[in-house]
Amino acid sequence: MTIDSILDGIAALFMVIGGLMSLAAGLGLVRFPDLHSRMHAATKPQVLGLLMLVLAAALMWRSWPWVVIALLAWGLMILTAPVSAHVVGRAGYRTKHMRADLLAEDELATAVDRLSRQRGVRREVKDD
Amino acid sequence: MTLLDTAYWLTQFLLALGVLCAVYRVYKGPSVLDRVISVDVILIIVGSVMLVEMAYHGSTDYILFVLVTAVIGFLGAVAIARYVAVRQPDAQDRARRAQVEAETLAGAPASEPETPESPLGAGAQPHGGTLINDESTSWFAALARSGFVPSRKRDRPAEVQPDKDSDPGAEERPEPGDPR
Repeated sequence: MTIDSILDGIAALFMVIGGLMSLAAGLGLVRFPDLHSRMHAATKPQVLGLLMLVLAAALMWRSWPWVVIALLAWGLMILTAPVSAHVVGRAGYRTKHMRADLLAEDELATAVDRLSRQRGVRREVKDD
Repeated sequence: MTLLDTAYWLTQFLLALGVLCAVYRVYKGPSVLDRVISVDVILIIVGSVMLVEMAYHGSTDYILFVLVTAVIGFLGAVAIARYVAVRQPDAQDRARRAQVEAETLAGAPASEPETPESPLGAGAQPHGGTLINDESTSWFAALARSGFVPSRKRDRPAEVQPDKDSDPGAEERPEPGDPR
């Protein structure tokens, strides 16, 4: 049981966890009923799955510069995933790609309704 | 080393299952936004496959592709979501949604993303939703570009559904008309 085998074992564990995250994303994409819950499932491999695989690769490489570059890839994903999720979720809400009957409470609807009563403001989902 | 082999193949199998599910959602997805997030997931899993490959073989060949994959997924999601919000896919959505509705008239529509009853309680017919989508999104798309506000706003509901915009037209139509 050398240090190499221990690192290999940890890397193998991280790999399998990353694969399970992507499997969870796929199952969530298939099973979940509407856009926003599918987005919830779709962010699993973006952050945790990719982090696990980056750590696995870093453990297998055992060299620090490549670890930095791999973490740069992960950090780029961390920076861009909220933006794309925001844009997609906003477009999904505005265009009613959600099922309002599944929501426990829709707090955004009152704000959107209040805003859309002012004229000159961009029209929101619910005005009529 | 056999542990690492097992983990490698197991991980590739799990990633392949995830990709298959995402491809199914791209094929089946009722709206363009579902396809966008599914394609995003597919891109991330492709990057994950490259990472696993690199981790297994101990090479660093594909790390640049992982970076590029992250950036492409972000740009594609943002651009397509913006493009969805602006004009085109609502026509596709209407056709697709009409087809889905015709298919699943008997059973309860499981994956229909449209709201059967809306929280504010106005009459949202199954096709009225897409019409309101089209109108609202074209409204703030028209605000984004400056000059075209009234003409686009007038043209859009008239060519979409003439009977539907009589109801919202009473309070919506004067809005773009006022500044002009």
